[in-house]
Amino acid sequence: MKTKEVMTRDVAYLSPDASAKDAVELLQEKEISGLPVINGNGKLVGMFTEKDVLVYILPSYIEKVGRFVYEENPKAIKRKFAQLEGVKVSQLMRREVVTVGEDVTLCEVAKMMLTQKVRRIPVVDKAGKVVGIVSRCDILKGLIREGRGA
Amino acid sequence: MLKKLILLIAISLGLGFLTRNIGLSLHQATAVSIFSVSVLGTLFFWSFRLTFAFLGTSALLLTRTIDLDHLIKFSSLEVILFLVGMMVLVGLLKDSGFFAWIVSLILRIKNLNANKFFVLICIISALLSCAVDEVTAIIFIVAAVFEICDYFEVNPTPFLIAAVLATNVGSSGTTLGNPIGILIASKSGLTFEDFMVKAFPVMLACLFASIILLKFWYRRQLAELDHKMKQLGANEILIRLISVPPEKELKTALAIFGATLLSISLHHRLEVLWGLEPNTVLLTLPLISSGLVMAWKWKKARGYIEKDVEWWTLLFFMLLFAQAGTLKYTGATDVLARNLAGLAGNSVPILTAIVLWVSTIGSSVLDNVVLVAAFIPMIQSFQGLGLNLQPLWWALLFGGCLGGNITLVGSTANIVAIGILEKERNIHVTFFRWFWVGLTVGLITTVIVWVALSFLPFYR
Repeated sequence: MKTKEVMTRDVAYLSPDASAKDAVELLQEKEISGLPVINGNGKLVGMFTEKDVLVYILPSYIEKVGRFVYEENPKAIKRKFAQLEGVKVSQLMRREVVTVGEDVTLCEVAKMMLTQKVRRIPVVDKAGKVVGIVSRCDILKGLIREGRGA
Repeated sequence: MLKKLILLIAISLGLGFLTRNIGLSLHQATAVSIFSVSVLGTLFFWSFRLTFAFLGTSALLLTRTIDLDHLIKFSSLEVILFLVGMMVLVGLLKDSGFFAWIVSLILRIKNLNANKFFVLICIISALLSCAVDEVTAIIFIVAAVFEICDYFEVNPTPFLIAAVLATNVGSSGTTLGNPIGILIASKSGLTFEDFMVKAFPVMLACLFASIILLKFWYRRQLAELDHKMKQLGANEILIRLISVPPEKELKTALAIFGATLLSISLHHRLEVLWGLEPNTVLLTLPLISSGLVMAWKWKKARGYIEKDVEWWTLLFFMLLFAQAGTLKYTGATDVLARNLAGLAGNSVPILTAIVLWVSTIGSSVLDNVVLVAAFIPMIQSFQGLGLNLQPLWWALLFGGCLGGNITLVGSTANIVAIGILEKERNIHVTFFRWFWVGLTVGLITTVIVWVALSFLPFYR
């Protein structure tokens, strides 16, 4: 089975100039954890995920300070979350995006998800335009269908 | 980029030709030229420093400037292993919540006022830098400064700069504060006790002077913080902001680290007692402790070695030490040392001043390990001239540490702290905002060291 048989074709996407706050609200509305970011020419320029928002609002040094537990929410985190309105999607998004073609096998996409540590991969045509998106769930559904068919 | 590369090649070749003209042999001039490529490579192309070190070291071997046996000998494996051991120990401390515990202690200071906060932050920065290393120390001091400044709604920049300056000063106090401390101890035979008796008190004097100066420099910001503290009341949310479970693990980690520090402080006596070569115990103690840590935390042992040890930096150090050793091996530094001593009239006080000020100014733009690695063979060559080396070693240590305060790029601690400030608060510290305060602290502390080394018979 190929990616084009399981991917979602009606892809919601974000503009790089959209505010991060609106982007978070769209993620909430769609009940998904990430969306592709597409510029005016229809080209994929990044991926915006919930993780990028958390990386932005939490201090960058928490890992280096070592093990501890937040017993209260620091003021800075609340302030940074409030500032999301003035932050553009392009400032937080991940620019290095893993993509696949429509004719790639499901196992190859699954392998890419595991090795590249991503949950969903945009599907692009030869011109680099996004034609769909494939998630872990789509892969599993495809594999189940394939199993039943066999 | 191309311009910088051309400049680097031109300077390195120029130095090679120049030193050939002042009496150096072909091999000696080649060693100077290749070493200068590595030094300038760190200045112009910091991200590519390991590339320059790999290529330079290969060139030294292929041109027969040094043989493999000596290259390995000069790579100072003992210093590298010491640093590996300390990095594993720091990894354990981080993992057990030690650094977060220190942050929580700072946040829990009762009856906090601006003056108390400022002085304590400077003292803790300096002392922690003595016990672990300056880069590790500054990360959690930055965390504490950010939380407190956020809570009281003031700009953290002045407090952060003060903490970094204190960290650099503190890093000169022991052999553990900075890689140059252990490098100098290893090459000079100076012990931890020597550092405690001769470097630590001077460091305290420098710290005291820095705090006074910084309190004056940032008096308006201190007044603003004081006002905010009175306005917003006690730091109650800060007091319960973070906790560090579980306690038992933290206590065990602290016990291991404390025992290591205590044994390091007694290393010279243990070496005498057991008839070992100087600094054998000093250099092996972190290995023993980290070996025990890896036995205790065997499931995480690979993680400590792979994630907590900075192999990129250590590999660079190894090759840099080997290249600097080539200067000694070929006799290049003997010729240069003879010329320099001649110019100074064989006067140790004049040479001390030269080493102190050149290393202070040099380390304000260059990585201090690079600078110290370059100076060590020169100082070793002075020994052949029958000069007393002790003040020169201390001058090199203090110059290498204190010079780092002068510019933004003078030390790794500065770069790390300013990087976090930019990322977290979007505050850009300009070169000159740092330079004026850094230069003032750098000059005053170096003068203190110069006076101590020149006038106290203790150091002669």
